[in-house]
Amino acid sequence: MNNYRIAVGVLLCSVLISSVSQIMLKVSANKTWPNRLAEYFNPMVILSYGMFFLSTILTMLALRYVPLSMSPILESTSYIFVSIMGYFLLKEKFSKRKLTGLGLILVGIFVFSF
Amino acid sequence: MKNCEKIDKIKRLDFRLILALHISLLFSSLSGVCSKLAANEKLFSLPFFFYYGLVLLIMFGYAIVWQQILKRMPLTVAYANKPVSLIWGMVWGAMIFNERITWRMILGASVIFLGIYLVVTEDE
Repeated sequence: MNNYRIAVGVLLCSVLISSVSQIMLKVSANKTWPNRLAEYFNPMVILSYGMFFLSTILTMLALRYVPLSMSPILESTSYIFVSIMGYFLLKEKFSKRKLTGLGLILVGIFVFSF
Repeated sequence: MKNCEKIDKIKRLDFRLILALHISLLFSSLSGVCSKLAANEKLFSLPFFFYYGLVLLIMFGYAIVWQQILKRMPLTVAYANKPVSLIWGMVWGAMIFNERITWRMILGASVIFLGIYLVVTEDE
Protein backbone atom coordinates (compact mmCIF):
# COMPACT_ATOMS: atom_id res chain seq x y z
CA MET A 1 0.00 0.00 0.00
CA ASN A 2 2.88 2.33 0.87
CA ASN A 3 4.62 1.44 -2.40
CA TYR A 4 1.39 2.28 -4.22
CA ARG A 5 1.25 5.77 -2.67
CA ILE A 6 4.89 6.46 -3.49
CA ALA A 7 4.30 5.24 -7.06
CA VAL A 8 1.31 7.60 -7.43
CA GLY A 9 3.54 10.46 -6.23
CA VAL A 10 6.29 9.48 -8.69
CA LEU A 11 3.75 9.36 -11.53
CA LEU A 12 2.46 12.84 -10.61
CA CYS A 13 6.05 14.20 -10.63
CA SER A 14 6.49 12.62 -14.04
CA VAL A 15 3.34 14.38 -15.29
CA LEU A 16 4.61 17.73 -13.96
CA ILE A 17 7.95 17.26 -15.75
CA SER A 18 6.29 16.32 -19.04
CA SER A 19 3.86 19.28 -18.72
CA VAL A 20 6.82 21.65 -18.46
CA SER A 21 8.32 20.03 -21.55
CA GLN A 22 5.02 20.43 -23.45
CA ILE A 23 4.94 24.16 -22.64
CA MET A 24 8.53 24.50 -23.83
CA LEU A 25 7.67 22.73 -27.10
CA LYS A 26 4.75 25.11 -27.61
CA VAL A 27 6.95 28.15 -26.96
CA SER A 28 9.47 26.77 -29.45
CA ALA A 29 6.80 25.94 -32.04
CA ASN A 30 5.58 29.55 -31.86
CA LYS A 31 9.01 30.82 -32.89
CA THR A 32 10.18 31.06 -36.46
CA TRP A 33 13.27 28.96 -37.21
CA PRO A 34 15.56 29.37 -40.25
CA ASN A 35 15.12 25.73 -41.34
CA ARG A 36 13.56 22.39 -40.33
CA LEU A 37 16.78 21.19 -38.69
CA ALA A 38 16.83 24.20 -36.35
CA GLU A 39 13.14 23.56 -35.65
CA TYR A 40 14.01 20.22 -34.03
CA PHE A 41 17.60 20.78 -32.88
CA ASN A 42 17.53 23.93 -30.79
CA PRO A 43 18.40 24.01 -27.07
CA MET A 44 14.79 24.42 -25.92
CA VAL A 45 13.50 21.45 -27.93
CA ILE A 46 16.45 19.25 -26.95
CA LEU A 47 15.99 20.09 -23.26
CA SER A 48 12.25 19.46 -23.44
CA TYR A 49 12.81 16.05 -25.07
CA GLY A 50 15.37 15.30 -22.33
CA MET A 51 12.72 16.06 -19.71
CA PHE A 52 10.23 13.96 -21.67
CA PHE A 53 12.75 11.09 -21.54
CA LEU A 54 13.10 11.48 -17.76
CA SER A 55 9.31 11.41 -17.39
CA THR A 56 9.08 8.12 -19.35
CA ILE A 57 11.51 6.52 -16.87
CA LEU A 58 9.56 7.81 -13.86
CA THR A 59 6.23 6.70 -15.37
CA MET A 60 7.60 3.23 -16.10
CA LEU A 61 8.93 2.87 -12.53
CA ALA A 62 5.57 4.02 -11.15
CA LEU A 63 3.68 1.50 -13.34
CA ARG A 64 5.21 -1.30 -11.27
CA TYR A 65 2.58 -0.49 -8.66
CA VAL A 66 0.03 1.71 -10.47
CA PRO A 67 -2.54 -0.02 -12.76
CA LEU A 68 -2.31 0.97 -16.45
CA SER A 69 -5.95 2.11 -16.43
CA MET A 70 -5.08 4.65 -13.73
CA SER A 71 -2.12 6.17 -15.53
CA PRO A 72 -4.09 8.40 -17.98
CA ILE A 73 -6.33 9.41 -15.04
CA LEU A 74 -3.35 10.75 -13.09
CA GLU A 75 -1.95 12.22 -16.30
CA SER A 76 -5.03 14.44 -16.57
CA THR A 77 -3.44 16.55 -13.80
CA SER A 78 -1.32 17.87 -16.69
CA TYR A 79 -4.27 20.17 -17.54
CA ILE A 80 -3.92 21.72 -14.09
CA PHE A 81 -0.15 22.08 -14.45
CA VAL A 82 -0.40 23.39 -18.03
CA SER A 83 -3.14 25.90 -17.06
CA ILE A 84 -1.06 27.29 -14.20
CA MET A 85 2.06 27.55 -16.39
CA GLY A 86 0.01 28.92 -19.29
CA TYR A 87 -1.23 31.68 -16.98
CA PHE A 88 2.28 32.73 -15.99
CA LEU A 89 4.26 32.01 -19.16
CA LEU A 90 1.84 32.32 -22.09
CA LYS A 91 -0.42 34.95 -20.47
CA GLU A 92 -3.46 32.67 -20.79
CA LYS A 93 -6.39 33.70 -18.62
CA PHE A 94 -8.19 31.78 -15.88
CA SER A 95 -11.94 31.96 -16.53
CA LYS A 96 -14.70 30.62 -14.26
CA ARG A 97 -15.29 27.91 -16.87
CA LYS A 98 -11.66 26.86 -16.79
CA LEU A 99 -11.61 26.77 -12.98
CA THR A 100 -14.80 24.65 -12.97
CA GLY A 101 -13.18 22.26 -15.46
CA LEU A 102 -10.00 21.97 -13.41
CA GLY A 103 -12.14 21.35 -10.31
CA LEU A 104 -14.04 18.59 -12.12
CA ILE A 105 -10.76 16.96 -13.16
CA LEU A 106 -9.74 16.83 -9.48
CA VAL A 107 -13.18 15.49 -8.44
CA GLY A 108 -12.97 12.85 -11.20
CA ILE A 109 -9.55 11.72 -10.03
CA PHE A 110 -10.86 11.30 -6.47
CA VAL A 111 -13.99 9.43 -7.65
CA PHE A 112 -11.79 7.14 -9.77
CA SER A 113 -9.16 6.51 -7.11
CA PHE A 114 -11.05 6.03 -3.85
CA MET B 1 -4.79 35.82 -30.07
CA LYS B 2 -8.32 37.19 -30.40
CA ASN B 3 -11.34 34.90 -30.11
CA CYS B 4 -12.50 35.35 -33.71
CA GLU B 5 -9.03 34.47 -34.99
CA LYS B 6 -9.06 31.29 -32.92
CA ILE B 7 -12.49 30.19 -34.16
CA ASP B 8 -11.32 30.88 -37.70
CA LYS B 9 -8.34 28.63 -37.15
CA ILE B 10 -10.55 25.84 -35.74
CA LYS B 11 -12.89 26.02 -38.77
CA ARG B 12 -9.95 25.55 -41.09
CA LEU B 13 -8.94 22.24 -39.47
CA ASP B 14 -9.65 19.45 -41.89
CA PHE B 15 -10.73 15.91 -41.21
CA ARG B 16 -7.37 14.39 -42.16
CA LEU B 17 -5.62 16.41 -39.47
CA ILE B 18 -8.09 15.20 -36.80
CA LEU B 19 -7.65 11.62 -38.07
CA ALA B 20 -3.85 11.97 -37.90
CA LEU B 21 -4.24 13.33 -34.37
CA HIS B 22 -6.33 10.31 -33.30
CA ILE B 23 -4.04 7.77 -34.93
CA SER B 24 -1.13 9.36 -33.09
CA LEU B 25 -3.09 9.29 -29.80
CA LEU B 26 -3.95 5.60 -30.24
CA PHE B 27 -0.31 4.93 -31.12
CA SER B 28 0.90 6.84 -28.04
CA SER B 29 -1.44 4.86 -25.76
CA LEU B 30 0.52 1.73 -26.76
CA SER B 31 3.58 3.25 -25.10
CA GLY B 32 1.71 2.91 -21.80
CA VAL B 33 1.21 -0.79 -22.55
CA CYS B 34 4.94 -1.25 -23.29
CA SER B 35 5.82 0.81 -20.21
CA LYS B 36 3.73 -1.48 -18.00
CA LEU B 37 5.23 -4.57 -19.68
CA ALA B 38 8.74 -3.20 -18.99
CA ALA B 39 7.79 -2.40 -15.39
CA ASN B 40 6.66 -6.01 -14.88
CA GLU B 41 10.04 -7.37 -16.05
CA LYS B 42 13.17 -7.68 -13.93
CA LEU B 43 15.02 -4.33 -13.92
CA PHE B 44 17.80 -4.22 -16.57
CA SER B 45 16.92 -7.66 -17.98
CA LEU B 46 16.77 -8.19 -21.75
CA PRO B 47 12.93 -8.11 -21.96
CA PHE B 48 13.00 -4.98 -19.80
CA PHE B 49 15.24 -3.16 -22.30
CA PHE B 50 13.16 -4.47 -25.20
CA TYR B 51 9.88 -3.11 -23.84
CA TYR B 52 11.41 0.13 -22.61
CA GLY B 53 13.07 0.55 -26.01
CA LEU B 54 9.63 0.22 -27.59
CA VAL B 55 8.33 2.91 -25.20
CA LEU B 56 11.03 5.31 -26.40
CA LEU B 57 10.48 4.41 -30.04
CA ILE B 58 6.73 5.10 -29.75
CA MET B 59 7.37 8.31 -27.75
CA PHE B 60 9.90 9.49 -30.34
CA GLY B 61 7.54 8.94 -33.27
CA TYR B 62 4.66 10.50 -31.33
CA ALA B 63 6.70 13.55 -30.28
CA ILE B 64 7.63 14.36 -33.87
CA VAL B 65 4.06 13.98 -35.14
CA TRP B 66 2.69 15.88 -32.11
CA GLN B 67 5.00 18.86 -32.69
CA GLN B 68 3.85 19.04 -36.31
CA ILE B 69 0.19 18.76 -35.25
CA LEU B 70 0.66 21.57 -32.67
CA LYS B 71 1.96 23.80 -35.45
CA ARG B 72 -1.21 23.24 -37.47
CA MET B 73 -3.87 23.54 -34.78
CA PRO B 74 -4.33 25.51 -31.55
CA LEU B 75 -3.03 23.82 -28.40
CA THR B 76 -6.63 23.80 -27.07
CA VAL B 77 -8.02 21.77 -29.99
CA ALA B 78 -5.16 19.28 -29.87
CA TYR B 79 -5.71 18.90 -26.12
CA ALA B 80 -9.50 18.56 -26.54
CA ASN B 81 -8.92 15.24 -28.30
CA LYS B 82 -6.33 13.98 -25.84
CA PRO B 83 -8.76 12.57 -23.21
CA VAL B 84 -9.41 9.54 -25.47
CA SER B 85 -6.29 8.24 -23.71
CA LEU B 86 -8.52 7.79 -20.63
CA ILE B 87 -10.53 5.24 -22.62
CA TRP B 88 -7.50 3.52 -24.16
CA GLY B 89 -5.89 3.18 -20.72
CA MET B 90 -8.94 1.35 -19.36
CA VAL B 91 -9.35 -0.77 -22.51
CA TRP B 92 -5.69 -1.94 -22.54
CA GLY B 93 -5.64 -2.29 -18.73
CA ALA B 94 -8.66 -4.60 -18.81
CA MET B 95 -7.71 -6.51 -21.98
CA ILE B 96 -3.98 -7.03 -21.47
CA PHE B 97 -3.40 -6.78 -17.71
CA ASN B 98 -6.76 -8.09 -16.45
CA GLU B 99 -7.38 -4.94 -14.44
CA ARG B 100 -10.82 -4.61 -12.93
CA ILE B 101 -12.84 -1.71 -14.32
CA THR B 102 -15.61 -0.61 -11.97
CA TRP B 103 -18.58 1.70 -12.59
CA ARG B 104 -16.98 4.09 -10.13
CA MET B 105 -13.87 4.25 -12.32
CA ILE B 106 -15.99 4.89 -15.43
CA LEU B 107 -17.90 7.62 -13.53
CA GLY B 108 -14.60 9.21 -12.43
CA ALA B 109 -13.21 9.10 -15.97
CA SER B 110 -16.44 10.69 -17.29
CA VAL B 111 -16.19 13.55 -14.78
CA ILE B 112 -12.54 14.09 -15.83
CA PHE B 113 -13.66 14.03 -19.48
CA LEU B 114 -16.23 16.76 -18.77
CA GLY B 115 -13.64 18.75 -16.81
CA ILE B 116 -11.11 18.55 -19.65
CA TYR B 117 -13.81 19.61 -22.13
CA LEU B 118 -14.58 22.72 -20.05
CA VAL B 119 -10.90 23.58 -19.69
CA VAL B 120 -10.00 23.30 -23.35
CA THR B 121 -13.12 25.01 -24.72
CA GLU B 122 -13.20 27.87 -22.21
CA ASP B 123 -12.36 30.62 -24.72
CA GLU B 124 -14.68 29.65 -27.57
